[in-house]
Amino acid sequence: MSAPLSQDTTPDLSVRIGALTLRTPVTTGSGTFGFGSEVADLVDLSKLGAVTVKATTSKPRAGNPPPRIVETPGGMLNAIGLQNGGIDNYLSEKLPFLRRYDCPIIVNVPGEDPEDFAYVVRRLTEAGGADAIELNISCPNVSHGLDYATDPKLTAEVVSLCRKATHLPLLAKLSPNVADIRPIAKAAEEAGADGISLINTLIGTAIDIRKRTFKLANGTGGLSGPAVKPIALLHVYRAAQVVKVPIVGMGGISNAADAIEFLLAGASAVAVGTASFVNPFAAIEIADGIADYLRQNGFGSVGEIVGAVQPLSRS
Amino acid sequence: MLTPSIPPYILEAVIRKLLAPVIRCTPLSAPNHFVLAFDGGEMARDARPGHFVTIAAGADNGAMLRRPFSFYTVDPASGEVSVLFSVYGPTTRAMAKMKPGDRLDVIGPLGGHVFEADTHPGTHHILVGGGYGIPPLAFLSRQIKATAPNARVTVINGARTKEFLVGTEGLEEIGVEVHPSTNDGSAGYHGLVTDLLREFLHDRAAHIPVRVYTCGPTPMMRAVGEMSIAYDVPCDVSLEVFMPCGIGICMGCAVGRPDGTFARGCVDGPVFEAREVIWP
Repeated sequence: MSAPLSQDTTPDLSVRIGALTLRTPVTTGSGTFGFGSEVADLVDLSKLGAVTVKATTSKPRAGNPPPRIVETPGGMLNAIGLQNGGIDNYLSEKLPFLRRYDCPIIVNVPGEDPEDFAYVVRRLTEAGGADAIELNISCPNVSHGLDYATDPKLTAEVVSLCRKATHLPLLAKLSPNVADIRPIAKAAEEAGADGISLINTLIGTAIDIRKRTFKLANGTGGLSGPAVKPIALLHVYRAAQVVKVPIVGMGGISNAADAIEFLLAGASAVAVGTASFVNPFAAIEIADGIADYLRQNGFGSVGEIVGAVQPLSRS
Repeated sequence: MLTPSIPPYILEAVIRKLLAPVIRCTPLSAPNHFVLAFDGGEMARDARPGHFVTIAAGADNGAMLRRPFSFYTVDPASGEVSVLFSVYGPTTRAMAKMKPGDRLDVIGPLGGHVFEADTHPGTHHILVGGGYGIPPLAFLSRQIKATAPNARVTVINGARTKEFLVGTEGLEEIGVEVHPSTNDGSAGYHGLVTDLLREFLHDRAAHIPVRVYTCGPTPMMRAVGEMSIAYDVPCDVSLEVFMPCGIGICMGCAVGRPDGTFARGCVDGPVFEAREVIWP
């Protein structure tokens, strides 16, 4: 280990995902920061590692009827239903605004079938609409029972078709709703993913005992927030044992200590999601907190703590 | 008359996140109802009727998300602003215990479309509130009277029973007509606010324009909105929807629109024209 740095040395927070360099290891979780424009007056977007924008689909989607979100102990369930204006609207209305900021853009792309994913990926690539693409093969609210990321073969099918459609860095966003993440993470890597995003939300539900109805109009939703962090952390740790590509860890990160746990577990970067609803500055404050931790513990760069947890004898 | 050069809803409000010093937390006569006043600084300058703040409190009791509260009183000169609330969950339980000098984690002013007072000088403004829907209407009535002292402003304030009639203190002193109504007849009109509203709309003189503004429980607002439409009177409703973020990024506070799409209650509202709303 290198000699401890003096207190005033600024640690190197930059991380690489494929050809993309992030200034800090902290991005936003898709669907938790809109398209950036909503918060640009409040938050300095250029201080983010990247803005990961709301899911963008081939056609506009109205989304699910309300209620779409309920708070649950230590978290919340959401069933937004991927409300967005579609790829045409993104390129004409959202992108020009975002490009005014010195901040990489990661676009989250869901799809109805592999060709649908590849279509949006191709459109984004041709139009210069993203600096990286996150394939949302794990949204629990629109899968109709078919979740690409619960099956290594389906994961590989989507990733490899999208790989052919773009030179941009590709992240595969995987589902926590699986018994073992390792074969799926491996399949995504072998199919050409430049990185793995872990985790999407956990499928769950809540019931109103007075009305005797499900609280969400959709019935089920995706659980996020501090409640899911231990699950997310283990998925990240396990995936990191089998893949060489960087992992973007997410799931209940609310403060710098949470983020550092993910880095130690093997994530190269992290995403802040639900916490941004409570504190829109959370992602920026967490990046500052990571820098403080590195400085206080004598690390010169964030890379030095990635995967630095003492290994488990069994996992 | 209202000054046409100041359409308040067009002024751009600067959103601020503050740890605002609490000035006082005052219990009201209604059980479990409080007014929490804090130093909002420049927030007080930008706040318009219908704007709201989101407050994070009660994390120790399990609250994670912020909760929205409409501005009740606003004093741009001193920076003091207040919200009126009743205790119903961990956030409001924590707010009720706040002492002067405590810090309130607050974001605001929020809302992309707020109340726009009709600028026609002869307009009769009828504000219909129920439950804890009265705070933004009290603010609106004060603002109308401040800009147009001669404007006729009527507040219909509905509650289950007398003890829950809160939020209209001081309005009659500035010339606002306050008409309480209670479901049990323990004070004011015996009946629903919509019964009282119908009398006003039915008896109105044809040459006097009327504008209705409403905030309160959804069934009440729906009834007020539909009655206004039936009488061909414009009606602004300030919707009460669960707002997880309040700043337009979560898409959780969906409000159905006539074209089948969804608006966001927080940044596309919270005030909507009654005709634009598909009621849940």
